[in-house]
Amino acid sequence: MGAFYYDSGIRAVNATLSTFLLLSVPGLPLLLAFPALRSRLYWPCYIALLPALILLTVPMGVSIELPWLLLGSGLGIDGVGRLLLAMSVLLWTAAVTLLHTAKGKTVDDRLTTFFLLTLAGNLGVILATELVGFFAFSALMGYGFYALLVAGGDERTRRAARVYLVFLILADLALFEALLIAAATTEDLGFEAVRQAMAQSPSSTLYLSMVLAGFAAKAGVWPLHFWLPLAFGSSRPAMTLLLGAVPVAIALLGVVRWLPLGETSLPALGLIIQGMGVVAMLYAILAGVERAQLKMLPAYATIFATGLFVTTLGTGLNDPAVWSRQGNLAYFFIVSLGFGVAVLVVTIGWLQARYHYPAKPEKKADDSSPWFERWPSAVMRWAAQMGVGILPRLRAAWRAKVGRLRQVRAWQRILDGCERSLQRWTFAITLFLLLASVITFVMAFVGVSS
Amino acid sequence: MSWNAGLPLLVLASSLLPGLVIFFLPEERVATRTSLNLAGAALKLVLVGVMIWGVFHGHHYETRLPLLPELDLVLRADALSVLFVTLSAVLWLATTVYAIGYLEGSPNRSRFFGFFSLCVTATVGVALAGNLITFVLFYELLTLATYPLIVHRGTEVARRAGRTYLIYTVAGGALLLIGTVWLYTLTGTLEFTARGFLSSLDESQHRVLVIIFVLLIAGPGVKAALVPLHGWLPQAMVAPAPVSALLHAVAVVKAGAFGIVRVVYDVYGIQFAASLGVTLPLAIVAAVTIIYGSMRALFQDDLKRRLAFSTVSQVAYIVLGIAVVGPIATIGGLVHLVHQGVMKITLFFCAGNLAETLGIHKVSEMNEVGQRMPWTMVAFTVGVFGMIGVPPLAGFISKWYLGLGALDAGQGWVIFILAGSSLLNAAYFLPILYAAWFKAPADTWPAERSFGRRETAWALLAPPLVTALLTLALGLLASAPFSPLQWAHFITTLEYAP
Amino acid sequence: MVILLPLAGAMACFLWPQRGVQLGLVSALGVVACVAVLGWQVVEQGAQRYAVGGWGAPLGIDLYADGLSLLMLMVTAVVGLGISVYSSGYFNRDKARDFWPLWMFLWAALNALFLSADIFNLYVTLELLGLAAVALVALAGGADALTGAMRYLLVSLLGSLFFLLSVALLYHSFGSVDIAILAERVEPSPAVWAALGLMSAGLLLKTALFPLHFWLPPAHASAPAPVSALLSALVVKASFYILLRLWLEIFPLANAALAQLLGLLGAAAVLWGGIQALRQTRLKMLIAYSTVAQLGYLFLAFPLASIIGWTGALYMLLSHAAAKTAMFMAAGNILRFGGHDRIADLDRVVQRLPLTVTAFGLAGVSIMGLPPSGGFIAKWLLLEAAIRSGQWWWGIILILGGLLSATWVFKVIGYAFTQSGTPHESRAVPVSMEWAALAMALVAILLGLFASWPLVLMEIGLPFGGEVAG
Repeated sequence: MGAFYYDSGIRAVNATLSTFLLLSVPGLPLLLAFPALRSRLYWPCYIALLPALILLTVPMGVSIELPWLLLGSGLGIDGVGRLLLAMSVLLWTAAVTLLHTAKGKTVDDRLTTFFLLTLAGNLGVILATELVGFFAFSALMGYGFYALLVAGGDERTRRAARVYLVFLILADLALFEALLIAAATTEDLGFEAVRQAMAQSPSSTLYLSMVLAGFAAKAGVWPLHFWLPLAFGSSRPAMTLLLGAVPVAIALLGVVRWLPLGETSLPALGLIIQGMGVVAMLYAILAGVERAQLKMLPAYATIFATGLFVTTLGTGLNDPAVWSRQGNLAYFFIVSLGFGVAVLVVTIGWLQARYHYPAKPEKKADDSSPWFERWPSAVMRWAAQMGVGILPRLRAAWRAKVGRLRQVRAWQRILDGCERSLQRWTFAITLFLLLASVITFVMAFVGVSS
Repeated sequence: MSWNAGLPLLVLASSLLPGLVIFFLPEERVATRTSLNLAGAALKLVLVGVMIWGVFHGHHYETRLPLLPELDLVLRADALSVLFVTLSAVLWLATTVYAIGYLEGSPNRSRFFGFFSLCVTATVGVALAGNLITFVLFYELLTLATYPLIVHRGTEVARRAGRTYLIYTVAGGALLLIGTVWLYTLTGTLEFTARGFLSSLDESQHRVLVIIFVLLIAGPGVKAALVPLHGWLPQAMVAPAPVSALLHAVAVVKAGAFGIVRVVYDVYGIQFAASLGVTLPLAIVAAVTIIYGSMRALFQDDLKRRLAFSTVSQVAYIVLGIAVVGPIATIGGLVHLVHQGVMKITLFFCAGNLAETLGIHKVSEMNEVGQRMPWTMVAFTVGVFGMIGVPPLAGFISKWYLGLGALDAGQGWVIFILAGSSLLNAAYFLPILYAAWFKAPADTWPAERSFGRRETAWALLAPPLVTALLTLALGLLASAPFSPLQWAHFITTLEYAP
Repeated sequence: MVILLPLAGAMACFLWPQRGVQLGLVSALGVVACVAVLGWQVVEQGAQRYAVGGWGAPLGIDLYADGLSLLMLMVTAVVGLGISVYSSGYFNRDKARDFWPLWMFLWAALNALFLSADIFNLYVTLELLGLAAVALVALAGGADALTGAMRYLLVSLLGSLFFLLSVALLYHSFGSVDIAILAERVEPSPAVWAALGLMSAGLLLKTALFPLHFWLPPAHASAPAPVSALLSALVVKASFYILLRLWLEIFPLANAALAQLLGLLGAAAVLWGGIQALRQTRLKMLIAYSTVAQLGYLFLAFPLASIIGWTGALYMLLSHAAAKTAMFMAAGNILRFGGHDRIADLDRVVQRLPLTVTAFGLAGVSIMGLPPSGGFIAKWLLLEAAIRSGQWWWGIILILGGLLSATWVFKVIGYAFTQSGTPHESRAVPVSMEWAALAMALVAILLGLFASWPLVLMEIGLPFGGEVAG
């Protein structure tokens, strides 16, 4: 009996502890994002990473249910999650260090806030155990990262950030649709449950394409990659270091977590996806060679790697068995991608600092965007045309019509005249009207009785 | 009069009486006026709290006063009205605090706060109305009480805006009146009943019922600013910020939307309305409104105008949620009634702060304003992301249920409307944020007022922060008991129960 | 007693002009009390009939009080009290000496009219009423007022003349002037047709139904404010009351075409009056034209011809009486304060008279027919009657009329909120005048909140009983 009480007591303590710990992993960075709360702290960014570090030391998998949060949420960590978390902690630590050394001791306060927000989103995504939580944290991460790019960057990075933002919004829309489809299929939005439900669902192809499109835009997979080279071209090493780990790796993680891989077989779609992956790799190689700029190398490497990933994905969709056997490798791939990009960036940065490569004159194609990059602005232009051009014209037509109606006043003036003349010859008119009405009445009464 | 019968009346009186007293207060008695206002608002909140508790436990609150021989003035608290009353009471408190700060030192404050209280009284009356004639009564009262608020500034522009407002709303009210009387001659009753009271009417009268439906929707539709009846709303922007906030979040626009909810659910009954074939056209009107409002918002440089067009678009979500027949979409629509209110009031508070503190009225003047007024802009940012529907904020919850409901009801096209609207929302809101946080600042602000170390007066800062927090909480804690979402679930089970 | 008291008051005021104000107020209170007693009696015992001097019909003078006349008496009492209070502040000593006797005289005539049970009596009271009213209009002095008064006198005499002619014809044919007896005996014959035609035309002229309304705006606009209020609220209603009485009791043989004609004229009046009101640049002219429009509403009840319709029209009459009184009083205040009533220059005036503007606004609410007000209830009833009888077009007229009046009311109210330029010199307005206006406006509003009581009152003695059968 005593043992039982002891046991349950331990369990209660354990539960409280893990709840606290798991919540604080994204929660502490969020709190510290308020300038007022961190103003007295040294190294707030490192402190924000502490809970995650502690969580890494907990040897077992923990998870909690948070039914009151959002539409019923949860946080947890398992083996692969741990791996990713470790990578994130490492890279973020590196980035923080770079951030601090880059600007000396005085780091821009606002930048720190965005930094912490992005961090919270990133850690939260890794811990999320269901779709909505994942979606929410990845939104936080995405917008935070956008702010990070804009706030810390030069004009070039800002352009990258703007393109990134457009993709981010489109991606979120696609993912939202996918989420709705999933929610319409199953009550439980845990990853495992969704995977199983979607495998049998008739709308799985739609779901699959939405998820793929969404995350592809987030990860910068070819052909939705425009912002990646731009972003890598930016001068802030702390940001470029994170590019691989934050948007790209997490998006790939999303693909693995959301899709019913290894359960459904969609040969046709698989083939297309495979083909796209191969093209992406080819493109990366070609473009990388074409624009042989050392700084750009990580960008094309990333595009190549994601292309590779997509090819594998296509294979997995073609033949689910392959994925079920080797699927776990995907996580390792993601982790190594994150690291790889970081290492590349650091190496190149070091090389550049060391040898000071003469900057080649940039090719024109680099700055002027290709046609398919121009469509958002085209849409905006079209909408502007609608708003500024066509609507006013319609309104002008309407005004003209109203103007014609105004001429009604002409006959209103006639009415006024009537009223005035009524009042002028009072006596005559009175008599006349009276007689007229008498006659009418009499006629009416006669009409009744006849 | 027993407690249960008196409570709705008390809720009404808690803003009516302070309002009437305030009318007669001399201009200088600021302290008395302020404490009256706040006391009224707080009292209302307490009473509404009691009401929520009571309704949840199945109590029946109803005040019935004779109006015409066979028609009573009925004030009743059911689940739906409690939702709206709570929203009004909470946001009234916030807006009162804000208005006290906003109008400090300006003329005609007694008049302003008097009509302000009257406006809230009318809104609460609309919410509590237990039959259609009571609804009409308070609906028109609302029209009248709001007019002085819109023209409060007294400029020529304000007067013109007030005129436009009246032309629209009085005409709308007339349509509503015709519809109501017509309905009364057909049925002999106007009592709101769950699942409607018309389905028993003869088949031959269905054509007439469709016409009446159009009348009854067009009336409140004017206030809900459904396209093409929205023309007054952007013009009404000349009103002081607290008025715009109240107008867009609680009072006028919401009263219209709420009226549509009432007509569809408690007069016609959603199933009966669907069988008449009137819900699909309504949904299409709502969809057009959503897209059109967003398109127009894109090109407004005036911040408040942009927000106004955004309201046009957002309020139509509520109508859309209702017109997509189905329990889940209904939850989405009802919960958006609350969520949109909280988010939009935040945005208007912030816009007011900018105007009052720095003299900023245009989006193009907002460069780097986040540096000067960080808290205001944080609240604004939260509101904006909520509007776009970014999780985990309130707007996400509404969109989630709307989308899910559309799928559930087999109306997939709604999803595209939602997506398009989100996209447009992002397109007209995010540039504001970009400018506010990241663009290089202007040299001077148009008209800066100094508030010492703080960015602005506390009475101006606290309300938007509170409502921004609410926006966050409504999203994060959507599944907690007594959240609007759970309450909407509760209402929906009543409406759709077998 | 109801009649004699104001008469006595009139005499007293005439005899002791210095104390006119006090005497007038005392007798006003007395009349109100008497009406209240009478009302209690009627409510308790149903319709009352008195034979003055014990002669009784068909020879003597009969007085008859049912719900309809009681209601008219009451509205006269309430409005009369308000006007008395208002006038006590309005007139200076000179004018007051003339005003009070005339006004008491008029009140007596009104009360007598509402209680009369035979048409000759009706004629006499109508004539008295007209003369008193003309004298009151002329009270303002000045060329405008005199022209207006002359024109009014002419119209009034013409109308009475026609009425007298028809009374003579009827008496000749049936040997009685008592309404009840006439109702029994009357049968179609050319003489009756002529009589009824003459009578209706005369009364329409006096009620100022479109297009016989032309005399009304100048007369009402040029009179002093309390007199305008009186004319608009009560005097024109008196002739409508007669028309209604006769229509209900003697004219059941009238046919639908005639009713439609009256309705049509009413509709035209609503629209014409509304449009003309919008075109006016002077506040009092505007209000006067609105009276024309509002009178049109009353005639809409004729084609509807159902109990709900009649009730609606009567309710319209009640609320219009209260609201229009308030409006004219407010206009009087504004005129007194600023020295002019040009609408375009109102902003400087109205902002400094908040109570007056409130009164104007509240009265406007009733005139527009927006809730909560007596006007709304009336409109509701009329609309219901229109739709029930399948004649929805009258409903549309109602709504259009409401929109028109909303437009002009807000045209005026809008100035209350504009920022004024330099205020110009002004004369103080007595408190009693402001509060009287506000009180009358409140009456109009309260009529909308407590509608069931007057409605029950109307049913006493079944004035519309004949309609149930028909």
